[in-house]
Amino acid sequence: MKCLRALLDTIIPEDDFPGAWEAGVGDYLGRQLASDLAKLLPAYQAWLAGLDDEARVLHGADFAGISPRQRTALLMRIEQGAVEAAWQIEPAPFFRDIVEHCAEGFYSDPGNGGNRAGIAWRMIGFEVSG
Amino acid sequence: MKVTVSTRHSDYDAIVIGSGAGGGVAAAVLAEAGKSVLLLERGRDLSFETVGRDHLRNQRMAVYGHNAGPDIDGNPRTLEAGSFPIPVGEALGDLRLLRPHEPGYQNNAACVGSGTRVYAGQAWRFMPQDFRMASEYGVPEGSSLADWPIGYEDLLPWYEKVEWEIGICGDHRTMTHLPAYDKPYPMPALPLPHKSGIHKRGLEQLGWQWLRVPRLINSVPYNDRPGCINCQQCVGFACPADAKNGSHNTTVPRALRSGNCTLRTEVMAERLACSAGGRVTGVTIIDANGQRQTLTADVVVLSCGAVETARLLLNSATPQEPTGIGNGGDQVGRNLQGHYYPGAAGLFPDVMFDGVGPGCSIATCQFNHGNDDIIGGGFLGDEDIVTPVTMWKRFYPPDAPRWGIEAKRFMRDNYRRINDVTGPVQEIPSPAARVNVNPQVKDKYGIPVAHLSGATHPETVRTARFMHERAKEWLRASGAIKVWGQPPPRYLSGGQHQAGSCRMGEDPAISVVDPFCRVHSHDNLFLADGSPHVTNGGFNPVETIMALAWRTADNIVAKW
Repeated sequence: MKCLRALLDTIIPEDDFPGAWEAGVGDYLGRQLASDLAKLLPAYQAWLAGLDDEARVLHGADFAGISPRQRTALLMRIEQGAVEAAWQIEPAPFFRDIVEHCAEGFYSDPGNGGNRAGIAWRMIGFEVSG
Repeated sequence: MKVTVSTRHSDYDAIVIGSGAGGGVAAAVLAEAGKSVLLLERGRDLSFETVGRDHLRNQRMAVYGHNAGPDIDGNPRTLEAGSFPIPVGEALGDLRLLRPHEPGYQNNAACVGSGTRVYAGQAWRFMPQDFRMASEYGVPEGSSLADWPIGYEDLLPWYEKVEWEIGICGDHRTMTHLPAYDKPYPMPALPLPHKSGIHKRGLEQLGWQWLRVPRLINSVPYNDRPGCINCQQCVGFACPADAKNGSHNTTVPRALRSGNCTLRTEVMAERLACSAGGRVTGVTIIDANGQRQTLTADVVVLSCGAVETARLLLNSATPQEPTGIGNGGDQVGRNLQGHYYPGAAGLFPDVMFDGVGPGCSIATCQFNHGNDDIIGGGFLGDEDIVTPVTMWKRFYPPDAPRWGIEAKRFMRDNYRRINDVTGPVQEIPSPAARVNVNPQVKDKYGIPVAHLSGATHPETVRTARFMHERAKEWLRASGAIKVWGQPPPRYLSGGQHQAGSCRMGEDPAISVVDPFCRVHSHDNLFLADGSPHVTNGGFNPVETIMALAWRTADNIVAKW
């Protein structure tokens, strides 16, 4: 869970608006992995394990234990498919899926579990009436 | 055409199957004429709250499901693998097995009102040229392009009826691509959003025609319901003010108010019931409890949409018509078409978003016809307000960052400055683009599902490329500092604008229904949806579906 939280907060980091985790993206993903995306749960687990391995190989610590700057650099390498650890899953394509799911949680309606109290909509100026 | 009334007592004068755009009209006209009508709907009657505001499960963005049916489970279809450019759904031998929200399924909503419950309600008359495409352009090799057996003038009285009785807002003076209107729209156009004003100036600068997009929305209170409140979640969702005019709040209530119509929901038509002689006598249905029942009527009207109407005919084979009712000429299910939607998105220097919905207000019909070396064309219009997650998925610049602080900043800085224009292309029909049935795969009722195969004619793709370039030109003229998008590849089209699968014509060898939408081989079986459309115009088809259904139903009554 620490790894997932660190990952989501690297994909959508906190600034003067909340990052992914505080905005509820973890809740969104939890719901989805228990329903529509249940088939992807093993892939998520394998990918997160690969991410921790990768961080340990490169920095000697879990992904959650390295600095935000190191996390970003690590994900940029993964995005290019440049990995050192022995991944059980092709790292680059599934990273794109995770980014997509993270954005779904952050930018879709709060009823889906993310975008808590419409915070992402307030940030971008999607004003809702009626 | 003469409807022969059976001497045997039937349960109803007429059974109408499907409560969408066409079925609602047919039920209302027949019931108001004093006929006893049974209106069947496979879906439920959905409240605004039930439809909800799920940005990942709606008719515009169906990532994980639909808000207005059909249910994800129990309603599969199969697709020929080559009919979609990427693998979709699950593999099933050589085929793809699809759930309703997956690409290639060609879904339309399953609920009272069908697509009209959750549509944008763009309300277009087809142009006179749209009814005579073969005469205007010739027939490209490999296509089944043909003229309609009726013309614009034949449909005009019913276009006006739809405009006034179901309720369309707009500005007839701007519809300069059409013959002058005898009657204005009953309601003025919706307020012009800020971004639509900018796009209007772009069109003026290019010297292209502009018009105010007519919509099946009350811009002011009308028909005892309120006017639009300009909310931001219109297309794909139900209306919080009940100002969007669909079958569920216009024609179906009219039918019920007459006292002559019974509405049954969550009822699936399994097959048409026929006499030993092969004459249609009603329909066999299966209800939500799995109970099968045969109901009889003197007249049966199919309004299931182009895919499901064809499926029902094909699933209703009789000794007299062993390949399906109306299918003697092997025409049922062919020429399936919808609309390609080329367009482009642009980044603007200033904020475009002002929150005034629904949004699509300005369009141009400059390119529907008369383009050099192009068969037909289509209109281009600005867009209803795009939800944030839809912006992320569909209209995000390909070179913008997708994650990290820069991606967050990009959405924050630019959500309100990105805007797109798009529009439907008149498809060039292919006889190979087809609805069939797959007896190997059954739905939750045990009924063989629709199998879809083929693809649109290559000319459709060429027109779409042409329109994509025009979309980019328009965005630049409107002041976009950056423009992106891709023209669509070739695939099988249909979707919410599905049409053409039971085409209208004089000759039973090459058509399924006559010019009054009566199935050639039957005196009491009619179609009232998009399936009789010979071609589907470069326009949203719903006003034409409603007008044609009205004409068909009026004719049934007149000849009864």
